[in-house]
Amino acid sequence: MKPLAALLLVASAAWAQIRVVQLPSKSPLVTFRIVFTTGSAADPVEKPGLAALTATLIAEGGTKDLTYKQIEDAMFPMAGSLTVQVDKEMTAFSGAVHTDNLAAYYKLLRARLLTPGFREDDFKRVQSDLINGIRSGLRNDDEELAKAVLSGSIYRGTPYGHYTYGTVASIEKLTLDDVKSFYQSQYAQTNLFLGIAGGFSPKFLEDMKKDFRTMLPQGAGFRPREKTPQFPDGVHAIIVEKETRSVAISIGTPILATRDIADYPALLVANSYLGQHRMSYGLLYQQMREARGLNYGDYSYIEPFPNAGSRMEPPPNVARHMQMFQIWIRPVEPPNAVFAIRMAMYELNKLLKDGIPEDGFERARDFVSRNVNFLTRTHDAELGYGIDSIWYSTPPYADYVRGALAKLTREDVNAALRRNVHPNRLMIVAVAGHAEELKRQLASGDPSPIAYNSPKPEAIKREDETIAKWPLNLKAEDIQIVPAESVP
Amino acid sequence: MVFKLALLVSAAAALSAAPAKVFPYSYTQEDLPNGLRLVVVPTPFPNIVATYIVVQAGSRNEVEPGHTGFAHLFEHLMFKGTEKYPAAAYNEALQRMGATSNAYTTADYTCFYTVFSKEDLPKVMEMEADRFQRLKVSEPEFKTESLAVLGEYNKNASSPFSKLDEVVADTAYDRSTYKHTTMGFLKDIQDMPNQYPYGLQFFDRYYRPEYTTILVVGDVKTKAVHDLAVQYWGEWKRGTFKPEIPREPAQQAPRSAAVNWPTPTLPVLDIAYKGPAYSDSTKDTAALGALALLAFSTSSDLYQKLVIEEQRAASLHAEAPQNLDPSLFEVVALVKREGDLDAVRDRIYETIQTFRDQPVDAARLDAVRKHLRYSLANRMRSSDAIAAILAPYVALRRTPETLNLLYNQYDALTPQDIRNAAERFLTASGRTTVTLVGPPAAAAAEAK
Repeated sequence: MKPLAALLLVASAAWAQIRVVQLPSKSPLVTFRIVFTTGSAADPVEKPGLAALTATLIAEGGTKDLTYKQIEDAMFPMAGSLTVQVDKEMTAFSGAVHTDNLAAYYKLLRARLLTPGFREDDFKRVQSDLINGIRSGLRNDDEELAKAVLSGSIYRGTPYGHYTYGTVASIEKLTLDDVKSFYQSQYAQTNLFLGIAGGFSPKFLEDMKKDFRTMLPQGAGFRPREKTPQFPDGVHAIIVEKETRSVAISIGTPILATRDIADYPALLVANSYLGQHRMSYGLLYQQMREARGLNYGDYSYIEPFPNAGSRMEPPPNVARHMQMFQIWIRPVEPPNAVFAIRMAMYELNKLLKDGIPEDGFERARDFVSRNVNFLTRTHDAELGYGIDSIWYSTPPYADYVRGALAKLTREDVNAALRRNVHPNRLMIVAVAGHAEELKRQLASGDPSPIAYNSPKPEAIKREDETIAKWPLNLKAEDIQIVPAESVP
Repeated sequence: MVFKLALLVSAAAALSAAPAKVFPYSYTQEDLPNGLRLVVVPTPFPNIVATYIVVQAGSRNEVEPGHTGFAHLFEHLMFKGTEKYPAAAYNEALQRMGATSNAYTTADYTCFYTVFSKEDLPKVMEMEADRFQRLKVSEPEFKTESLAVLGEYNKNASSPFSKLDEVVADTAYDRSTYKHTTMGFLKDIQDMPNQYPYGLQFFDRYYRPEYTTILVVGDVKTKAVHDLAVQYWGEWKRGTFKPEIPREPAQQAPRSAAVNWPTPTLPVLDIAYKGPAYSDSTKDTAALGALALLAFSTSSDLYQKLVIEEQRAASLHAEAPQNLDPSLFEVVALVKREGDLDAVRDRIYETIQTFRDQPVDAARLDAVRKHLRYSLANRMRSSDAIAAILAPYVALRRTPETLNLLYNQYDALTPQDIRNAAERFLTASGRTTVTLVGPPAAAAAEAK
């Protein structure tokens, strides 16, 4: 269905400013992925959540001519959808439709993106949805909550420093005029990528480009590049307190490696070795879950992976100028929380000190260089990765990664890891019930031995003795307790 | 080779050609002499293959008290390795392939899937056959893995919807094994480490060819897949176990339950009606499926009123039953203010009553039929997406053909069929209503 897809991926500059990624094929579907290079990093300082509110209102509101009900009625028989993903730097609208319904679907898509209604009743509904998304959704999802708090603390003082979907207090204050002015300044041709794949004609695409060129303003306002986070030396912790039966943990540190810099492929391999997402191949998974039964899984990341609990592969179009290295420890039983944190630190320090073993390097390299072929197997993903490659100025993703990995050595991986990840410059976030007690344990430096329900091999018992005493270098004043109701 | 059952089904891809089958790909289906079923679906998506191995054993099969959650535990244990491929070797082989591999368990089945490059098909078929026939789990491994299952329970436990699902099932059912969720009761999960012998028995009962269907979708040649199946799976021994799944007695009166959630949340309302078992030979399943969309989807009158116009509910949706045994037709609403719970509940009851009282508009029913066909077509975006669509149907009837039959039923529905289904199944005496609310202080703060 997508033969020689890489060759067909054309980044066209036919129109002066609009960037187009097109993948024509014989598919009975047409897939749209329309990305604006704006997101929560463009939120005005006093208006966190404005980018998310604007995008959600476009995707879940009426147009100038049609009410939201009329849109839903028209979309329903064709099972047409328009979903939106908002991140720091990008806002991606995506949808797919059968070629039978292409003309009718596109008419609605065009109206939604180019002539949004911005009605007061739609605004109120979406504003309330976003507030409830934090109060009722995020705060009842301990793992996502830990990640949101981690990201906020790592990027504090930068445009990445607030939760993408804002804060309850800020969203409550936003107005429809704020949304209109954000739309006018950010939804412009210079911020636009048009992605289209499947069974469309050249004429269709020409007309579509013309629509966007005619209806959108040419240039978005100038936005200075973000400053890198001024993350302090030392290890710090935030305990988010709420009533919950286990302890959800995320640990992170800012890194300089974005997808377009030389260390990226090496870090991709190191990360796959340490904690490939949702796969049983990673070291953390093997040591913490498989050997010790600490929890459901343990993974690591060098790029954002929103909604990691519900997806197997990272979404495209979460491209960023600043990245962080992150360890995700899925909820552990409260008596094992300190041991689990120590164990993650122990494995990370061991990897930095001893380096990746030769066979571990080869296996992780083989995995990444072949798995990359699967990441772009749908038109939607292929468009998304194509757009990201243009944004980062890198070759098509699969070619880029395979090419770099073919030349990569174990020493490259170890050097890149040591250049980027500093284990004495970390933030630990735990969502937990008895916060004061956890704080006391973390600050005390007391051993945190673990008990098992079955006999363990001698090697594990010996290693556990080291882990139970592993120095976290956390002082009481470096540990902050915040109630869940106050974040993000 | 003996083909006990061989089907070759072909259909045009164009949906507009009216009587076209909804599943547009040709496929073959055969039973090996040991009862193992093989379904092969070659697709035009290049290079990639997805194997979905469906075992017809889910939490429904957990008939003995104190042993809920074992189908799911066994899904985990299947990754513990064999003599020939210990877990480390199995993992390394998949890792070097760049494969994506995982598994999931439902009320009716357990599914093991792997997505990989076509040249790795022989190795995948060999390794999968090996673990299904010769799994080796020691007691310490069993005990450790039961902790990973507890960890999975823990990661779900912060969501109010996990709790709500538990209470709805426990309240609505008396004898059906759907009374417990697939995760199982927490006390049973905590006791799992002590149940090693039962665990081995579960494997011996259900991990058998007559319970298993191998679904291979992607860039494959049917004959080659068949040969691999015979080579690696042909010696697998048929079992003898047949579970006695208790029948749920007819519910006599409406039921209700209330859940107090410890942290702030929007109130949730779940209204569940005792529905029928899955059927592709009658209109029951299709009629309730269409009704769920007609009455509660985003284009329904009630959704437009409650969510869009009045903004009393943050969301509203319904799910029609598609299970082996009779199961629930559920309407779920996230209500914005606790004070509106009763009003929203009554509006849902009234809507159901309207569907019982009068036939729906034929044009709206036609829009639902179109929606169902196009939404299925829109989801067939890759070989593994196609396999994932087929897996639940293969679990129900061991054949992709049931999908075509079900959609034929959708096509044949009349407005009167919808009314009949509402009258038969959506009755007050078969209803269970569960509410979940956060702490009182939070509700007071929200109301301000």
